[in-house]
Amino acid sequence: MIGDVITIIQDNWLLLLVGQYPNGPLGGIAATLILSVVSIVLAFPVGILIALARLSTSRLLLWPSTVLVYVARGVPLLMLIFWVYFVGPLVVGTRIPGFLTMLITLVVYEGCFLSEIIRGGIVALGRGQMEAARSLGHSYLAAMAWVILPQALYNMIPSILSQFVSTIKETTLGYVINVPELTFAANQINNQLLTQPFEVFFLLAIIYFVICWSLTRAAILLERRISNKRAGRGGTPTPPALEARALTAEP
Amino acid sequence: MITFDKVNKKYGDYQALADINAEVKRGEVVVVCGPSGSGKSTLIRTVNRLEEINSGAILFEGRNVHAPMSRREMNRLRSHIGFVFQSFNLFPHLSTLENITLSPIKINGVKRELAREKGMKLLDRVGLANKADAYPGQLSGGQQQRVAIARALAMEPPAMLFDEPTSALDPEMVGEVLAVMKGLAADGMTMMCVTHEMGFARDVADRVWFMDAGQILETADPETFFRAPKHPRAQRFLSDLRH
Repeated sequence: MIGDVITIIQDNWLLLLVGQYPNGPLGGIAATLILSVVSIVLAFPVGILIALARLSTSRLLLWPSTVLVYVARGVPLLMLIFWVYFVGPLVVGTRIPGFLTMLITLVVYEGCFLSEIIRGGIVALGRGQMEAARSLGHSYLAAMAWVILPQALYNMIPSILSQFVSTIKETTLGYVINVPELTFAANQINNQLLTQPFEVFFLLAIIYFVICWSLTRAAILLERRISNKRAGRGGTPTPPALEARALTAEP
Repeated sequence: MITFDKVNKKYGDYQALADINAEVKRGEVVVVCGPSGSGKSTLIRTVNRLEEINSGAILFEGRNVHAPMSRREMNRLRSHIGFVFQSFNLFPHLSTLENITLSPIKINGVKRELAREKGMKLLDRVGLANKADAYPGQLSGGQQQRVAIARALAMEPPAMLFDEPTSALDPEMVGEVLAVMKGLAADGMTMMCVTHEMGFARDVADRVWFMDAGQILETADPETFFRAPKHPRAQRFLSDLRH
């Protein structure tokens, strides 16, 4: 079976990597990664803005942002994709490419989820930091920018990274509106071979797993590095955390 | 310099401050004491408007802090009032020196190099010049509070407010913070301190305000206050402290 998988890779590596490019649109892993990275990069400022609106005392900001977040949380992503796919062109009056449709949907959806993470991080800081900054004379937004957000975002790095990982997995839904990303490429291969679905989708799973797992590892390393810097330990590693067993085992 | 004029504050039905009339003069050190829940912290927090008041006025250098004003004016006014918290509230993501230089750079537009130079002088003044690059998490409570004082001083405020600056400290660290405060007082800084450190009040204060139930029941020089408090509540408070 492994032999079959290797053969599939040898025959289709370019399709898996970049899709039909340069003879067609960019696809495969490249499209998946570009879609994920661009959507999270755009969703990040959107998330901060929604979080600030959700913390605002102005109803003009509070209500629309709250409705947006509740809708995004209460509706399956696939539904949002269909909305943007079918309603979007009616609104703007022209065809929207699949990639752009997927990008817009992901930015809104991830922006809403990130905003809840960021809001949680801000609220968890307590009011002491804000009071200290305000009493020094910083404006609300300056206090947010220099004091609150750097801490809240740092504390939320693990959640933000896991949101990024789920974004990568969510790009697979682009398949249903013919965005030529990695899953789309794998399905093309499967349609050519017809007889080896297990091998093809096993390969697909491995690729997604490697990407997401290495990102998770990178997140852990990044987190350690920053907390070491804060604790003034330079490059030395943190002592390993207690194993779950040590915390739950009967004494 | 700081004048309270018929200040009232309510939390719902609860009268947190009742008709406060008092004044802190330029160069004066006032210690506010009293039992917990008496409104001391609320009072000091109204001075830079961390708490709003329901009626009355608080004049800081002749300006009513609680008058309607633009946010910009509010921020400007706050930057002239140094405030030190019980819980230090240093910014944990910044080094000691960065904690001090952040506000002069961002608010007053002081050049980075100059701000650092002044910051080092302030750190030296609170005895922590060797901790410039340390993060707050690496400092003891007493050291953190000294940095917090330096941070407030960096904005060169004409008056400093201290809200129970030593209450969160282990006993052996109280002295180092009080020493810094004494130094400030000796330099002529106008100070208003909510504190339970009666030794500090006795040695450093020009006036003691005794508060209970949202009122200032007695103001006196420390000598008189500790020797012969007039108000029965103050007498009881002082005798409770001795036991």
